[in-house]
Amino acid sequence: MNLPNYFLADLPPEAVLTGTMIEETCQALKRNRETYMVQRTTASLIRLLSGTAENWLEADYPFRKYALEQGPKETGFSAATLAAGLDGFFRELTGENLQALLVQDIGHLQRLDSPVASTAEQKLQRAALASGPEFLVHITAGRIPNPTFMSIVLGVLTRSAQFVKCSSGATFLPRLFAHSLYAADPKLGACLEVASWRGGSAHLETALFKEADCVTATGSDETLAAIRRQVPARTRFLAYGHRVSFAYITQEALSGFSPKKIVAAAAADVVAWDQVGCLSPHVIYVENGGAISPELFAEQLAGELGRREQAEPRGELPAESAAVIASKRAFYEIRAAHSPETRHWCSENSTAWTVIYEADPMFQLSCLNRFIYVKGVGNLTEALQSADSVRGSVSTVGLAATEEKSTELVTQLGHWGVTRVCPLGRMQSPPLTWRHDGRPSLGDLVTWTDWEQ
Amino acid sequence: MTERLTFSTYAARLRDFIRQNSSGELTASNAEEQFQELATQLFGLQREGNPAYRTFCQARKVTAESVADWRSIPAVATAAFKEFEVTSLPEAERTRVFHSSGTTGERPSRHFHNAESLAIYEASLLPWFETHVGARGLRFIMLTPTAEQAPHSSLAHMFDAVGRKFAAADTFFMGRVEGDGSWTLDLERTVELLREAITVKRPVRLLGTAFSFVHLLDYLAEVGERLHLPIGSRVLETGGYKGRSRSLPKAELHSLITQWLGVAAQNIVCEYGMSELSSQAYDREVLSAERGVQRRVFQFPPWARVQVVSPETGREVGEGETGLIRVFDLANVRSVMAIQTEDLGIRRGSGFELIGRATLAEPRGCSLMSV
Repeated sequence: MNLPNYFLADLPPEAVLTGTMIEETCQALKRNRETYMVQRTTASLIRLLSGTAENWLEADYPFRKYALEQGPKETGFSAATLAAGLDGFFRELTGENLQALLVQDIGHLQRLDSPVASTAEQKLQRAALASGPEFLVHITAGRIPNPTFMSIVLGVLTRSAQFVKCSSGATFLPRLFAHSLYAADPKLGACLEVASWRGGSAHLETALFKEADCVTATGSDETLAAIRRQVPARTRFLAYGHRVSFAYITQEALSGFSPKKIVAAAAADVVAWDQVGCLSPHVIYVENGGAISPELFAEQLAGELGRREQAEPRGELPAESAAVIASKRAFYEIRAAHSPETRHWCSENSTAWTVIYEADPMFQLSCLNRFIYVKGVGNLTEALQSADSVRGSVSTVGLAATEEKSTELVTQLGHWGVTRVCPLGRMQSPPLTWRHDGRPSLGDLVTWTDWEQ
Repeated sequence: MTERLTFSTYAARLRDFIRQNSSGELTASNAEEQFQELATQLFGLQREGNPAYRTFCQARKVTAESVADWRSIPAVATAAFKEFEVTSLPEAERTRVFHSSGTTGERPSRHFHNAESLAIYEASLLPWFETHVGARGLRFIMLTPTAEQAPHSSLAHMFDAVGRKFAAADTFFMGRVEGDGSWTLDLERTVELLREAITVKRPVRLLGTAFSFVHLLDYLAEVGERLHLPIGSRVLETGGYKGRSRSLPKAELHSLITQWLGVAAQNIVCEYGMSELSSQAYDREVLSAERGVQRRVFQFPPWARVQVVSPETGREVGEGETGLIRVFDLANVRSVMAIQTEDLGIRRGSGFELIGRATLAEPRGCSLMSV
């Protein structure tokens, strides 16, 4: 497949970007938006987005085929992992879900089209219009494309001209998604730009941020602080910091449901996107006293990861990442030799997967790439005490619990600072309506015009 | 009749092996045979006499009899020295302990010694050092504190031993240990000593860590003083930065050393060592087959062997491939001989090119690796 040169990211690697190029691009994007985007209706945009998503789910859709063929080389994920991850996203991107998102975040399906009132607002004799930023800039991070896809989707809904700056080496999938939108609607595609450069290239970023009405950015605290300093004070800045996640399995769940299903769900969360996202678990907490012990759970999880590796192999790793796994394994091997409170299971002749069981509940940051800790705990309070070092940075808890107990656990997790609780097995597949880091993703982009009638 | 093998009798045999290697009286096959024999003997002693190692070998189901080749001796991760007492020395016999210089707040590695193991350490250190750096009767300037001030530093001990051996009356330690345990450098005095050497045209040996050189070079740049150390001078640079100064790529550090101290690249020697080992590797700039490419390839002495192993499979990588560095050090008598480091290197003949510590450098997605 030969992708035409629509985006800066399509330029050959030797092409050098300049501040002037960025400025001109921004101007063109804004002009195109004015001509092609502003008059669109929400309904037509939803049709376009959901239609594109349906295409992506077709086995012979050229962009999908290309993503799965070239993806392993370009992204480091195996084709099976990519297919699962992409399907997870595009299955969610339906008309119905987009409508649910609009209603959830801004209260009305036509809120972005004209001043409208919900039933509650009608009673108050009020109506309101929401407008998106004219020019929206996304600074993305990491190898998982779904957050970038979602940023683009939100920008399409708000009829914004969009500039997506990917981290270097991570343009492949965002670029394909942009091309698929372009193919579906070239005029809308002309309001979108995808580029990549090494973060901190001031001459490019100054030119870019000067034009932006809103900047979203994902990255480490240092990266975000650096971007924040560059973004003009009047420009809206939405920062998504690094997050970690963990899983929690109650003893009743292990006794009541099929433990096999719980093990499979836990494995799915470790396997998805090779565990490298902020929604992937570092640790799986398993309550003591269930039908199977945390240790036995770990052993069964290892077996399941071994099976999953056959169907959905982990991507190849650079030597540095493999070396970190090898070094961690070497350490835990010795610890395990000395104490029954530590055990380890490793894939043979590869670093494909690793399970470390420890009786000590202390939260551990995993080196990821399918390296998971299983830890025994008495109850959730103990788990949260043990995870104090990451309090405030936890995104998702994948929960396996009985219905009766769930409300209580979710309340406790919420008060502690967790922003998303989902069933185990779905940690890396948030719904479209997910409030990213506890904030309304679409709601944070718009500006309201209130109309008191 | 064979005498019963003990750590002491092993130590005597090792000394003999080191002596024979240093005097060049061994053929290659002879050396291999002796290395093999000493390695399996030492493995047997350590498997028996080092409780932490014994537990580890038992878990791996490796017996003394099952090891016929030094390459299959189980290697212990350096990280194990932080959590376990990897030693055959009973507590009462430990007269010295070397700590790794980790980042603040991290538990250090501990390598226990007694007088005999320290003597072996020096017997291993000195001939190989002399081959690569040393020359008797020169002035030695060390950019570290003395061994007395930094008793847990294997580097300070190494420099102390080198000074005693090669320049007893003319060795200077320019480092100080501050109240918080950090090392500082008496920069003015260092420069004064270097100037003196230049005036009397007497070559020096300037030894220090990478970060101490950065401090010295920054100081020279600040005061704008460019020194030209006398011909025959050499610089020995070792270790990383660990947040103690800004860190520089090796090539840049070396070009600054050439620029501010007047020591050419071929007279800068790098040392690869760690508190968990008793032998050191030194590098030499090697002209590779690819024309014009200079490589710095580290070599351990003949009584220590290195393997570069694939992190994926644990097997030795091919020539020119990257993997983790594993060292089999016959001089590591009272801890363990086979040490698995966390450093990545490229296999080059019987040596290696150092890439450095494997860290999670790449921020992955939204994971909080720096917590």
